[in-house]
Amino acid sequence: MSQGPVLELRGINKSFGAVQVLHDVAFSAYSGEVTALVGDNGAGKSTLVKCIGGIHPSDTGEYFFEGEKVHVGGPRDAAALGVEIVYQDLALCDNLDIVQNMFLGRERKSGLVLDEASMEEMAAKTLDGLSVRTVTSLRQHVSSLSGGQRQTVAIAKAVLWNSKVVILDEPTAALGVAQTAQVLELVRRLADNGLAVVLISHNMNDVFAVSDRVAALYLGRMAAQVKTSEVTHSQVVELITAGRSGELGIKNDNGAAA
Amino acid sequence: MMRAGPSQEEIRKHNLGTLLRHVHLGGPTSRAELTSLMGLNRSTIMALTADLTAAGLVREELPKDTGKAGRPSLVVRPESSRVYVLAFDVGVDRLAAARVGLGGVILDRRVAVRQRGSFDMAQVVGILAGFARQMLRKTRPDTVCVGAAAAFCGAVRKSDGVVRIGPNIGMEETPFGEELSGKLDLALPVNVGNDANLGALAEHTRGIGQGCRDLVYLHGDVGIGGGIVVNGQLLGGFAGYGGEVGHMIVNPGGRPCGCGSRGCLEAEVGERALMDRAGRNGSDAVGRDCVRSVVDAADRGDVVAQEALHGVGNWLGLGVANLVNIFNPEMVIFGGTLREMYLGSAAQVRSQINVGTLGASRENLRLRTSGLGDDAPLLGAAELAFGQVLADPLDVLSRHTS
Repeated sequence: MSQGPVLELRGINKSFGAVQVLHDVAFSAYSGEVTALVGDNGAGKSTLVKCIGGIHPSDTGEYFFEGEKVHVGGPRDAAALGVEIVYQDLALCDNLDIVQNMFLGRERKSGLVLDEASMEEMAAKTLDGLSVRTVTSLRQHVSSLSGGQRQTVAIAKAVLWNSKVVILDEPTAALGVAQTAQVLELVRRLADNGLAVVLISHNMNDVFAVSDRVAALYLGRMAAQVKTSEVTHSQVVELITAGRSGELGIKNDNGAAA
Repeated sequence: MMRAGPSQEEIRKHNLGTLLRHVHLGGPTSRAELTSLMGLNRSTIMALTADLTAAGLVREELPKDTGKAGRPSLVVRPESSRVYVLAFDVGVDRLAAARVGLGGVILDRRVAVRQRGSFDMAQVVGILAGFARQMLRKTRPDTVCVGAAAAFCGAVRKSDGVVRIGPNIGMEETPFGEELSGKLDLALPVNVGNDANLGALAEHTRGIGQGCRDLVYLHGDVGIGGGIVVNGQLLGGFAGYGGEVGHMIVNPGGRPCGCGSRGCLEAEVGERALMDRAGRNGSDAVGRDCVRSVVDAADRGDVVAQEALHGVGNWLGLGVANLVNIFNPEMVIFGGTLREMYLGSAAQVRSQINVGTLGASRENLRLRTSGLGDDAPLLGAAELAFGQVLADPLDVLSRHTS
């Protein structure tokens, strides 16, 4: 695909007090592709995602969406652009059913009352579009769902709003083998349906199984953003742990070879 | 002998078959879409659909609100609940039978676990025929069965459907189709195909590979089977044994294979190799459970299981790299137990592919897991069974209804 990225960040800096967490970070996500965001603990993955989602405004840097420069001052701005984030804790309410969860805070109304029928129809359509067959009833309480099903509902919730970019924070971290496989296939299907997907993961198998590009953060800097078809497992591990691998990655300041 | 152009009758037969195939594969399609798909004029399409409707193969309906101006074009739907085939799948651990309606809908299905051990033809055929009878008993009288086919985990001769060798199920030179056909007693021949070839066909027509003209499907059972689609056609080879990628030698002098050779892809990647490497030879788990148990153990930090998956993933990647260099596929699909194996060792598999293939061959390569799951061979068998009715709809139907 020769199209430009749907989401592009340039020169992002972010500090919390005296600690600079992100240094001049550039990041892009493309429609129809899964971009894996990898990095060690504390490398700045979550901060970068929160900058994208508008939760932490970046100190300096530019934010482009579909080629246009935009200002994202808060989560609502990001949601209005079509950027949705599924956090690790999923933020689902156990005491509500699947439809209620998917529309939580953005309920549809017909007149004064909630339009339950159309919400249920939209939820069903979304899950169907994702070929989700694991959920039997949409009126099930979320408390009765398995980990994989919860993840599925959280992802479907993010997709419901005609989103263009979906960011998934470690969607397989707490799942067993069978459910991990289902969620990975779902992640792949999202991208094959045309969305830009950003996948944060520590599991190299998950990264290589579904991603088209890998962006590796190292101590708050973007070590490299490469196509997954052009790197090996050990190169990605080196980028994560040392910030460079051969020609790839952050160069030494004095230009000397490592 | 010189032949003149096709006769009117042949052209009509061809057009009927093509129209039926569009509806069978594409689902409900409006007459207007068929007109542009087939490049025929509207009155011809109308005449063709009238013939197929009269035969009870399709029906026409007004579409739901199209939201467009003008009189809506009638939608042609396959008569899925009326016209069906019987499809069978013989795997090492699993016997399955299904009644599949026109349009590829599974109407009814039966599955049994097969115990490993020597192959007992009478028993297998008995179970499958029994399933078929159970399913047929539940059908309405106005339904019609237009074909039958089976997917088999072995090398199958194209000309007569004889299973030449199935090393993992332990049989040779068996006229499986003939036996099953005799036992079914429906006056229907049972076509037989290799399970991975049929899986490739199913993924290509209805699964994740729709719209891909060049793909490689790899099917993991005890061994590794393969099906290769080149420019929209399944690669059969001279006698039908093409696509046996499981016996591609990746490690000369490596592990012994059921076929008598050494270092075949299936000997290095199959279930036995994985269990061997993981030190679980005594384990009861077979098939999917066994692969899952190793992936699960690796996930929980079992070093031996991790090493086993790494090793197997490296060989799998090497095998796929060879296939990518030779066929330049748009998509490689991992089905059967290879789904779990690929997802559990993707780092190794892709690293090998990225190192071992020409950059140009892999730049548009997509690696995917099966879209149809365990049903891929079964649905492929159904496609094989539909072959005749799609080639000559009216004749086949009149033969089976009379």
